[in-house]
Amino acid sequence: MNGFRYERPTTVAQVTALLAEAAGKAKVLAGGTDLLVALRSGASRPELLVDIKRVEGLTEIRWTPAGDLEIGAAVEVRRIYEDPRIATAFPALAQGAAAIGSLQIRNRATVGGNLANASPCMDTAPPLLVLGASARVAGSAGERQVPLQSFFLGVKKTVLAPDEVLIAVIVPAPAAGLRSAFDKIKRIYGHDLALVNAAATFEPASRTLRAAVGSCGVTPILLPPLSGIAKSAGPEEAGRRLAALALEHICPIDDVRASAEYRRDMTALLCRRLVERLLGKSTGRR
Amino acid sequence: METVPITLTVNGEKLALDVPAHRTLLELLKGEVHLTSPKLGCGIGECGACTVIMNGQAVNACLVLAAEADGAVISTAEGALDRDVLSALQQAFIDFGAIQCGFCTPGMLNSARALLARTAHPTRAEIVEALAGNFCRCTGYEPIIQAVEAVAGGHKPSSQSGAATVTGPYVGGATPRVDGIAKVAGTAAFVHDMVLPGMLHARILTSPHPAARIVRVDVEKARAMPGVKAVLTGADLPYKLGLYMEDKDILARGTVRHQGEAVAAVAAETVEQARVACEAIAVTYEPIDPVLDVHEAVRDGAPQVHPDVANYNWMKGVFFPKPGKNIAHHQKIRKGDVEKGFAEADRVFEFRFWNPQVQHVPLETHTAIATARADGEVEIITSAQSPFTVRHLFSHTFGIAQHKVRVRVPYVGGGFGGKAGIHLEPLVYCLSKAARGRPVKIVATREEEFNTLPCRQGLHSTIRTGVTKDGRIVAQEITYLWDAGAYADYGVNIGRAAAYSGAGPYVVPNCKIDSLVVYTNKVFGTAYRGFGHLEVLWGVERNMDLLARALGIDPYEFRRKNLLRVGETTITGERFTTGHGRPDECLRLVAEAIGWDDKRASTPAAAGSGIVRGKGLAMLHKAPAMPTFTSCSATILFNGDGSVNVLVSGVDYGQGTYTTLAQIAADELKLPVEKIRIPWESDTDYTPYDWQTVASRFSVMGGNAVIEAARDCLGQIKSVAAEVLRSPVEQIECENGVVWARGKKDKKLNYSQLVLGYSYPDGHSIGGPVIGRGRYIAQGLTNLDPETGQGLPALNWTYGAHGVEVEVDTDTGAVRVLKIASAFDVGKVLNVQQCRTQVIGGVVQGIGSAVIEKFVFEDGRLMNGSFTDYKIPTTKDVPGEMQQFFLETPHPQGPYGARGVAEHPMISVPGAVGNAVVNATGVEFFELPLDRERVYLALKRATQVTSQPNPVAPVMAGA
Repeated sequence: MNGFRYERPTTVAQVTALLAEAAGKAKVLAGGTDLLVALRSGASRPELLVDIKRVEGLTEIRWTPAGDLEIGAAVEVRRIYEDPRIATAFPALAQGAAAIGSLQIRNRATVGGNLANASPCMDTAPPLLVLGASARVAGSAGERQVPLQSFFLGVKKTVLAPDEVLIAVIVPAPAAGLRSAFDKIKRIYGHDLALVNAAATFEPASRTLRAAVGSCGVTPILLPPLSGIAKSAGPEEAGRRLAALALEHICPIDDVRASAEYRRDMTALLCRRLVERLLGKSTGRR
Repeated sequence: METVPITLTVNGEKLALDVPAHRTLLELLKGEVHLTSPKLGCGIGECGACTVIMNGQAVNACLVLAAEADGAVISTAEGALDRDVLSALQQAFIDFGAIQCGFCTPGMLNSARALLARTAHPTRAEIVEALAGNFCRCTGYEPIIQAVEAVAGGHKPSSQSGAATVTGPYVGGATPRVDGIAKVAGTAAFVHDMVLPGMLHARILTSPHPAARIVRVDVEKARAMPGVKAVLTGADLPYKLGLYMEDKDILARGTVRHQGEAVAAVAAETVEQARVACEAIAVTYEPIDPVLDVHEAVRDGAPQVHPDVANYNWMKGVFFPKPGKNIAHHQKIRKGDVEKGFAEADRVFEFRFWNPQVQHVPLETHTAIATARADGEVEIITSAQSPFTVRHLFSHTFGIAQHKVRVRVPYVGGGFGGKAGIHLEPLVYCLSKAARGRPVKIVATREEEFNTLPCRQGLHSTIRTGVTKDGRIVAQEITYLWDAGAYADYGVNIGRAAAYSGAGPYVVPNCKIDSLVVYTNKVFGTAYRGFGHLEVLWGVERNMDLLARALGIDPYEFRRKNLLRVGETTITGERFTTGHGRPDECLRLVAEAIGWDDKRASTPAAAGSGIVRGKGLAMLHKAPAMPTFTSCSATILFNGDGSVNVLVSGVDYGQGTYTTLAQIAADELKLPVEKIRIPWESDTDYTPYDWQTVASRFSVMGGNAVIEAARDCLGQIKSVAAEVLRSPVEQIECENGVVWARGKKDKKLNYSQLVLGYSYPDGHSIGGPVIGRGRYIAQGLTNLDPETGQGLPALNWTYGAHGVEVEVDTDTGAVRVLKIASAFDVGKVLNVQQCRTQVIGGVVQGIGSAVIEKFVFEDGRLMNGSFTDYKIPTTKDVPGEMQQFFLETPHPQGPYGARGVAEHPMISVPGAVGNAVVNATGVEFFELPLDRERVYLALKRATQVTSQPNPVAPVMAGA
């Protein structure tokens, strides 16, 4: 790969100062599992890398007394799915994190990197979208909080300004009894990028389903909530409704990984399977 | 250059270094830290070959910057050794046959070590998960998983070196790999790991176009760049290369014929400098319409990929190009009277099948180092399957006498045919010459491995079969159209071998096969494990099931009825004898193992689950596909202490032949196997001739050569001993390195007293160093008749069968192999562990071809030429159960009756899996792979259109 300067600041202020100084010619380095691939291929040719793994607070998983979860941008995804409290409160997030790459990748890849890289097939985005997460962003002018659904602008594009860095993702405390789940379609049983991925939540009080779908558009797509799921409606009917809703909102393409047709059908399947997991009794199916 | 000061601990040693900011941890460990065990397999974190343990976690060292490792504690396979004692895990890898080429082994060990450090007693699922990020192309993973399971369950290693406690006879036993320790310790040095003093590094620039005229190449800027010592383009290299068909440029000359073809190359002080200089080369192309479809390519007036083919050199009398037709070779088989046969048939069916291009995916990409010396001598160190073929082609191409070309082949990280013939060696030689003789090394990137180096050819098969009502095949007319890609230097022989094997192991009294090797503007094909056979047997074995179903006959019975049997002849007129083996027994064994009689799945899937299950059968046959004249030799050199070095030039790139040859040498020389060493480098200066290590021929031909060399040694030992013991030579006996004369057991001599010459007490000496010579050349083979294909092309046919049970998730199209039983008539099991692990590895590679692997082209451009989008099986993709059977019907020419079984485990896996998927789903499949999308969409269409799901309607004819 081409040469660059490497900096390893210890405070967020130092990070944003370095980024501001580099005026768009810097890249933030977290786990590096996407960035190093881009550096090697020449797709990314920054003059400066700002390694945020030793920035105070960015490698922490914190809970507020209210039960909100804050995951530092440099927390490795393995720590997310191995955290018992996350797995209990936000199963979809744990499942999405566990679905990323191989163990070697999950030992390095971070939630911040996964989101900031903004690949449409990232596995943490659908869970975080359905869980109503927001991004904590720091820049030279201070901090701002961006709802995750406004964070992504396109393939590999986010709202982050050149001097800004994603420092954490905040997941609000789950509503009482909230259930969530994640699933993914890939080409092999081993590690692979998602041809389609999806996460869904079910809130029992309002009987509302929320779902988000990845790999079927330039960004992951958060569907409008599907509320008022009748108690009498079985998981099959609810699943069909969610699938129909999803098909109205996704816009998959044909590419080397899959056809749009397969992606559409698998989106519908994932919706049905997720709803079955959230509403139904276990039938032994994945 | 920006450097960063770091300190880190590697295998217990504290290091303080200044590293360039862009240096990866892998580059640091292989460079400044001088470790051999971390391997570069892809550079993008997909394959896990570079896995090391960093602060207790397995990480891909290619995706960590050295600067990020500041303060880290790193452990590699070298660090797993505790004062030169293998860990229990390393020993288990040896004991369970978890090693073949050894290139993935260190990374695999590190993933397992990190797991065991975190979880002392992991479950199988946890092991599979922890190892899923480590690709292995040889072992099929199962032996590795078992090794880790054993350690987790408290496995006590068999012994330190494994072999010490085992006594002969060794042939037929399970002697552990002779290369096991070097590979688990990570010290086995592959060309990837090698650095020579003053060595330069080469990079290439490749074509973005599938077909174009090269208008101009501007290299001036590149030449002036820092560190650059040589820049070459096709204009500098007026050579044509090739094993059978000399059609390949070293760098494209005037025309590029496939995307990814090398057009220019740079040698520089560093890889980075060479890469940057390549980027600075400006090439002006004039794209031309590519020839992409084989059916179009053979039409009259089609644009020609090689307009000059008539002027090329090729192996005359064996290959028959058709100038003006894009045909590099046309192999004909004509047996009996096909028209008469079809007229006698009750029914005639025609089906078409397709195999895509796929890649070998050795974990070590192609690499070579060349030094062009001032005196005209050349030294090449290469990751190749065949040092002598590299030397021969080298000498032929450049007009350098063979004795001035030295080719060395050390440990090779997998080949599977892709490293047969000649590849990057000529390029690095020319660069070395241009750089005033400094050694030049090239390591193909994984992307170049896909885009620039060869793949397996695509195949369109059309099979028309005439059958009687009672299920006898009476006629077959077959066309094989090979999508050879831009070059067919090796591919012509695939078209040839596939033709003479092209009807499967069946009696076809009237047979007409036309096998056409067709040039197109795609990345080119070469030999790949059982070349030609996996491809044609996909169609042949699917065809057998289609015919059986149409006739209402059980596919097992239909196969049995038509199998080759004693007294019948093959389609090239070879008489089937008892020495050919028992294909019928292979079929019976696998059918029984999967419970074929009960066609239902062994455990039916739950109703309404979307899961369906089914069983399938497929037969296979293959003989070494090689010219008639290929020969092989072995030299045995005795050392003064009675130990021996066995020198051969066949290459053990993972298949384990050196262990087998050590067993044979030990038994023949009456020595313990620890006294045998097979130096792990074939070197044309020192090791004796062998044509190529391909075609499942090395254990058979090399085995025969070693037997002869060993017997030559024993003859020399006995003749000296006879003189010393004053007994007739026929009376001399040898056992365990000791010699005596029958009836005179009181007077014994050790080999050590004889093998360098015997010295009497008075100083008078006789004899001299014992050097054994052995050789082998296949007996009785003939070239095939150009018009009829009749002749004897094959040294030994190995027959086999697979029985498979699969389950299909009809919601996603995902196929999972629940069980696969495989049987081969190997003549004689030389090493039972190696036979078993060879089959497991081949089966899993076959599952890659069956359900995962394919090249995806768009307008001639390869769209999935990296591990991001070209997937191979992982630990999670192995079948639930794998069972192996070996029959031992001796082959008259094989060592102890043995036949080859290296390639065979892979071929026909797609056919068996395909037949099982069809039986599970009720939908016919004609194209590979049976990937999820293909299966899903086929089921969807079949449900939408309830009529005939078969895209090619059977043609009915006959009485």
